[in-house]
Amino acid sequence: MDPIAGVPLLVSTSLKIAIMFGVVMLTVAYTTLAERRISAFIQDRLGPNRVGPFGLLQPIADGLKNLIKEEADPGTASKFYFLLGPVLAMGPALVTFAVVPFAAPLPTPWGVVDMIIADVPIGILYILALSSLAVYGIVIGGWASNNKYAFLGALRASAQMVSYEVPLGLSLIVVFMMAGNVTLTGIVWEQQQLGFWFAFPLSLGFILFVVSAFAETNRLPFDMSEAESELITGFHTEYSAMKFSMFFIAEYAHMLTASALMATLFFGGWDLPGTWDNAYWYQGELIRGFDASGAPMAAAPAVWKTLLTFAAFAAKTGFFLLLYIWVRWTVPRFRYDQVMELGWKVMLPTALAYLMVVSATILVLDQVGISGFYFGLALTGVSAICTVAFVFFLDRGRIMVGAAAPRHGRVGPRPTFGRGAMSSEGATTGD
Amino acid sequence: MAKKTTKAGGAEAKKTTKAGGAKAKKDRGVAVEKVTLTIDGQELTVPRGTTLLQAAQDAGTEVPHYCYHPGLSSPAQCRLCLVEVEGAPKLLPSCTTTVADGQVVHTQSDDAIRMRRGVLEFYLLNHPLDCPICDQSGECDLQDHVFAEGREHGRGREAKRVLGRDDFGGDVLFYGDRCVMCTRCVRFMNEIEEKPLLTVVERGDRAVIDTFFDEGLEQSNWAGNVVDICPVGALVSKDFLHKARAWDLEHTDSICPNCSQGCNIELHTRDNLVHRMKPRTNLEVNGHWICDYGRGRYEWLNRGDRLEAPVVHAEERNTAMGWTAALEALKSRIDTLGESSVKAVVSPFWSNEDLGAVSRLVETLGGGSVVFRSPRAEEEITLPGYEGLARRKALAPNVQGAELLGCTRVGDDAAQGGLEDLMDHDGVVLVLGDALDDQPEGFAPNAALVVYLGAYTSSALASADFQFPVTTFAEQEGTFTNHAGRVQRFWPALSGPGAARPAWLVLGALLGALKEEEGPTRAEQAFGLVAKAVKSYKGLDYETIGAQGVLSAARVPVPGD
Amino acid sequence: MPITTKVIQRPEPGRVSYLRAAFKGMALTLRHMVNPKTVTQQYPEEQTELHPRWRGTHVMEVHADGRPKCVACGLCPTVCPANCIRLVGGEDDQGNRYPIVFEIDEFRCIFCGMCQEVCPVEAIHVGRDFENAEYTRDRFVYDLDRLMQQDHPSTLLWDPSDPKGE
Repeated sequence: MDPIAGVPLLVSTSLKIAIMFGVVMLTVAYTTLAERRISAFIQDRLGPNRVGPFGLLQPIADGLKNLIKEEADPGTASKFYFLLGPVLAMGPALVTFAVVPFAAPLPTPWGVVDMIIADVPIGILYILALSSLAVYGIVIGGWASNNKYAFLGALRASAQMVSYEVPLGLSLIVVFMMAGNVTLTGIVWEQQQLGFWFAFPLSLGFILFVVSAFAETNRLPFDMSEAESELITGFHTEYSAMKFSMFFIAEYAHMLTASALMATLFFGGWDLPGTWDNAYWYQGELIRGFDASGAPMAAAPAVWKTLLTFAAFAAKTGFFLLLYIWVRWTVPRFRYDQVMELGWKVMLPTALAYLMVVSATILVLDQVGISGFYFGLALTGVSAICTVAFVFFLDRGRIMVGAAAPRHGRVGPRPTFGRGAMSSEGATTGD
Repeated sequence: MAKKTTKAGGAEAKKTTKAGGAKAKKDRGVAVEKVTLTIDGQELTVPRGTTLLQAAQDAGTEVPHYCYHPGLSSPAQCRLCLVEVEGAPKLLPSCTTTVADGQVVHTQSDDAIRMRRGVLEFYLLNHPLDCPICDQSGECDLQDHVFAEGREHGRGREAKRVLGRDDFGGDVLFYGDRCVMCTRCVRFMNEIEEKPLLTVVERGDRAVIDTFFDEGLEQSNWAGNVVDICPVGALVSKDFLHKARAWDLEHTDSICPNCSQGCNIELHTRDNLVHRMKPRTNLEVNGHWICDYGRGRYEWLNRGDRLEAPVVHAEERNTAMGWTAALEALKSRIDTLGESSVKAVVSPFWSNEDLGAVSRLVETLGGGSVVFRSPRAEEEITLPGYEGLARRKALAPNVQGAELLGCTRVGDDAAQGGLEDLMDHDGVVLVLGDALDDQPEGFAPNAALVVYLGAYTSSALASADFQFPVTTFAEQEGTFTNHAGRVQRFWPALSGPGAARPAWLVLGALLGALKEEEGPTRAEQAFGLVAKAVKSYKGLDYETIGAQGVLSAARVPVPGD
Repeated sequence: MPITTKVIQRPEPGRVSYLRAAFKGMALTLRHMVNPKTVTQQYPEEQTELHPRWRGTHVMEVHADGRPKCVACGLCPTVCPANCIRLVGGEDDQGNRYPIVFEIDEFRCIFCGMCQEVCPVEAIHVGRDFENAEYTRDRFVYDLDRLMQQDHPSTLLWDPSDPKGE
């Protein structure tokens, strides 16, 4: 079948944009509800359940409230940049979803429609570029507020951005090496062909990506930029009503994009286990794979396949959204120095080392001539060893030290307060 | 002080108290035989004739009592002050038993306490226990003693006698149910006022205090004292009825401002308002009593039409200012005027310190005259049973003090008129305290400078060049000199409104600025300046005056006294 | 229920299992997430039964003829630690002492119940009620009429002979 072209392409793309925008916004809205209800369940509460059945209209009520709420306008803020902040935060968060494939191609009377808004050749680089832009919204918003807490939040956000962008990129390089492509459709296709979702052969890369993505989206335990206990609410301290709401939407849209990316890069995207739903544009043909001789086999797109794969994609993304929420209500916030230490001393060297190991393994496997299923299996084994080693080091507290424990190497009596500190004995132990 | 009244012995207490403070003072030099006795294990030596109750008081033990009052005779009928004396067959009433050498007295022995317990239970047989609605609650001897030593629960089964209340006339209301029949009120009327208006009618448990037929206490000028001496809430003041609870009131020692007798009083205040005046014992002046005339006139201390900020009149306009700006403006006015003659009007309701500051200012500005106007009554109202105590003719507290400072009384008995020569004066006109209510608006139109230091807004002086808010005597520390030349201190009971300050402080600051020296900052210093200026006050200071006052060296006769 | 203290030892340095602790935490939160048991009370529909000695909005007891039982003795404003009672006593036409003004500022009140405890005529009570929301602050100053109109049950006093209220 032919790809859709001409006026129908224009119409279908416009339709996809409209629909996906709606879906993303709705998902974001309901993720906020999910956040509140799940946090409530975790804490043995009920959460918002008053507006509509099961509280389903709560996001609408929240939105309405934020729309009609009076806005506090800080007098000493820089007006233009104060306004620019939320815009810059929200824009990139919404457009990144354009390059994520969300279902198998849909056959229509006018041709096959790709279930992706824009299958741009630079794919993931586009996402990296735009999601890095989003931090500008936070930095500009925090700086323009003319509030020291907001400014500190903004500084932290940018420092954290810089620290975790590198391991994020490095953990993606292993994916690119496996896929040989940076388009997300290509990555999905390679996972289908390999028969392995990349989460298995690249397990440590997946872990690094998840951790970095948490840090990139400023979610707990990495929400240094809006650490309530230290910075009031960090960069958006001075924001209220709809402007605050835009930061809020941006955060959840980022979460959604990051979840979709985790699903796409490491869990096969819209792929369902099995091979019947494969579909990839290969030299102008929609194929489902290559036969033993290397000849392409034509794919058979169907409406039910599209719907089913979309459901698969939604389920995977939804799981990662749940993970985001789940982690947030379990793990307490890191200290700022711990965040920096984790980023630079753990994540970056680990990602570099893992990149070396994976590339060496791929090189060896290629030289030996192993490909296909066994290629994936071998890589899975190597990655598993790396992961175990990484977790061993992490888990023994040799690299990462929990907040509860004193810094290792410090031996001797604890500093005493109260009576001990007043005595001469206490005074002599201090240095 | 209690000793002084009864030096002649308990049996003759009546006679002695009648003689009053003046006589007690004369007795001071006479040598009195001393006896030594032991009260509650404490050995003490007291003059012969002292009662056990007073001796115990000296030893620091308060023996509960109702019928005994230091200013009255002791009938020993309340039976509450019974104490154990070793060797005596029964407990003895300590208010009438006089001391003897070698006596060993136990006021807190088991027998004494058991006896008091029993007596108190009898007192409560017919007492309604309506403390919540009783004005005496909080300062009631019955309440205190029952709480301290009485039974927790009464055992009486019979219905209580109900008498209701009776209007005794005047300011006095009688709640018969609460009465403990101590007869202090009857004895006051008989012995002190010497006009028997009250008596006990009926006998036994039907006994009740009453007036004679249609005659009420309204004929008396001293009836308020029976409310003060009533140990329970049987006699209460109509004026104070339900007005405040005793424990809410703050008590401040002061001097009655309503005549030149200078009775020692306590001002009872709450929420910065005076609620009542109570006598304060001073045997040299008023004993335990004050007159109803003085007692009832405290409302003016609560007046609301007060000056609250310094007001400067310039360019046809009154402008309120801070003290510094106002005083600087006044100083520059005085500097431009140069030496000029001053005519001042002061009020004898203001303290010696304030009046002294006025005369110093008059002297500094170039000399002149100081006059005062004071209301006068037709005649004195004396208390027959207490020599030396009377409602004096001069109805202001510090007439004597003003005279001693060289002020001249002008005007009539209603404190009006007499200011004709001030009206036309072209020098400086200074007014302290006197609001000149009888004078037309625009007082002293020809004066070069009119300064009004007053507590109340004045229509006559509404366009004075300077109006300074000053405190009344109840809001500041100071001294009055009474008709006999006795200098007595009072203390601040209220806080002055707004920026009001004592006149001596304001004038002292002005004088300090004019003479380029430090003005007085404490009332004590201000009195020191007065004592330096007035010969009669030589050697007096706040410490020697103390709480009871002291006679100044020379007594100047008050006109018409 | 006795109050007990649970002592949690700090982990030794070098032996801290951060990931394991994190996963244990995740497992715990998951268990709670799927557990349908909640502690939330659906307030307007479900009402807690207030305890007999629950102290809330005041009630002024009235006589059968509709007069307040208060005799304006002044003990409650004296004992009140929050100074929230304003009382002006007076005399009614039958010569009884009664409160001309009796106001309780429910905002300043700390609901210690000492006014009820001290009242000699059992007139003022704290009550078993907390639903006293208002739209304006001045409505929280309850005057005598309002206190007399309160119809919720009043708080039981602690009985020293039955300290546990059994």
